[in-house]
Amino acid sequence: MKKFAISILVFWVLAVIVGKLFHLDPNQIDLNSILAPINTDYWLGTDDLGRDILARVLAGIQVSFFVAIIVTLITMVIGVLIGLFAGFYGGKVDAILMKITDIFLAFPGILLAIAFAAVLGAGLSNLILALCITGWVSYARLTRGQTLSLRNRQHVIAAESLGASVPRILIKHILPLLGSILMVEATYSLASVMIAEASLSFLGLGIQVPNASWGAMLRDGVRYMLVAPHYVLVVGLSLMSLILAVNLGGDCLRDKLDVRSEK
Amino acid sequence: MNYLKHMLSFTAVIFGVLLLTFLLIHAVPGDPVEVMLGESASMADRQALRADLGLNQPLIKQFGHYLTSLSQGDFGRSIHTKTPIVDLIKARYPATLKLAFLSLIIGLSIGIPLGIYAALNAGHWQDLIVTLVSVRLSAMPAFWLGPILMLVFALWLGWFPVSGMDSGTSIVLPALTLGFGLSAILTRMTRTSLLEVLNDDYIRTARAKGLSEPEVIVRHALRAALLPIITIVGLQMGSLLAGTVITETIFSWDGIGRLLVESIEKRDYPVTQACVLVVALSYVLVNLFTDILYRLADPRVRAS
Repeated sequence: MKKFAISILVFWVLAVIVGKLFHLDPNQIDLNSILAPINTDYWLGTDDLGRDILARVLAGIQVSFFVAIIVTLITMVIGVLIGLFAGFYGGKVDAILMKITDIFLAFPGILLAIAFAAVLGAGLSNLILALCITGWVSYARLTRGQTLSLRNRQHVIAAESLGASVPRILIKHILPLLGSILMVEATYSLASVMIAEASLSFLGLGIQVPNASWGAMLRDGVRYMLVAPHYVLVVGLSLMSLILAVNLGGDCLRDKLDVRSEK
Repeated sequence: MNYLKHMLSFTAVIFGVLLLTFLLIHAVPGDPVEVMLGESASMADRQALRADLGLNQPLIKQFGHYLTSLSQGDFGRSIHTKTPIVDLIKARYPATLKLAFLSLIIGLSIGIPLGIYAALNAGHWQDLIVTLVSVRLSAMPAFWLGPILMLVFALWLGWFPVSGMDSGTSIVLPALTLGFGLSAILTRMTRTSLLEVLNDDYIRTARAKGLSEPEVIVRHALRAALLPIITIVGLQMGSLLAGTVITETIFSWDGIGRLLVESIEKRDYPVTQACVLVVALSYVLVNLFTDILYRLADPRVRAS
């Protein structure tokens, strides 16, 4: 499983590097070969404007990874901060912060992200903003739960009685113990942000034309499925392989770090 | 007392959902009226819409107005068609409910038997295959599974209509798209939860007193194993409801998810707002219902 996950990831990294070396242009329009099937000129065929699907898939993965990493980092920082405060102080602070996360969790799945992306307007930065507004909640919950139990550990009480400041306790004595569980959570969140990004782009809320994104390509693929079924299959398989690899990577990491998670 | 506290927290969440949905329209960068009507709109039209949405009033007053109109079943009017939004929702919501319900049935009727099968053969090749397939399926979002089902069963085999909702069998492919994803998660959950129970003492007792294996599984093991499954079904209804947005778009199924997407494309934000609110409230209610069901099913929670 581990080897499988790593080999998929290595494959994609190599593919992107090779694509860069050969200067594949994802936006090069070739109206003489629209929706061409897989052939020797275009290894994965062309889309509805005759653009090279291979080049666009490779451009799409970079967007996908970029969004996933940025969103995961931002949401993790926000969520961890909120979770640390809620778990450490407890009482009213905790009650209010957790009520807020409850409200965010009351919106199913990516519905709230869709809504925010819709009113903010399309575009890469708004897409990232919409995913950040809704993505911090799981980190806040996780960190709060862990902090709550770590708060009464002897080393924390010892630091407190020695007069350590709250930020120092949180950063030096509690945060390091959360490292592995947060890392596992972040891996899974990479995969779910990729799916969310693709979903929003699928609905036309993500990166705008002519730039490539897997969600938008899937939508076009569905539109031209009757004449060019390879389009939707290629893009879908690429996305699935990547998500599967990241999720399997998360499983391996979880086993290795011996984190007991609900997932 | 516990019950009262529960209802209070439920009301607070509903209030928060209303507040967040209300604020949605204020997240529009710049002037919402200009964004919705476009730059070519006349001054009079803008003024009219601004007054109609109450945007020239203080925020608190707007929210109060929002709550009172909602309590009277008034969701406002669509900017483009001028029809009352409540009529649009009434027309579209049943289709989504139908789709979600059928998907749930598909998910349960595939997921639970497969999970039991995997748990009973734990460690054997049958278990391995079931687990492998369910991991694969649960990683398949609707916008990938949907097109594959459409390609195979509608375009190549021609068993079902490609999209729309004219024929009686139109619902099959969208329902399978949503149901498969759900079944994958249910399979894994049933397997894990049944495996935990199967090693318990009372199962050994049930076997020792000479009950047949099906009786042990169904009457004793499954009853205890069902509890976590109820919770998972409740939680998964969320992704099911959100999944209808994509699935309805793929299959041109005229439900509330498609209404949402259409309203986004037309920048008809009051409609967007109403759709988000209705879906979120449905989810909150489903979760409340799950919670009640859980209490009824678990004697330990019932007693406390």
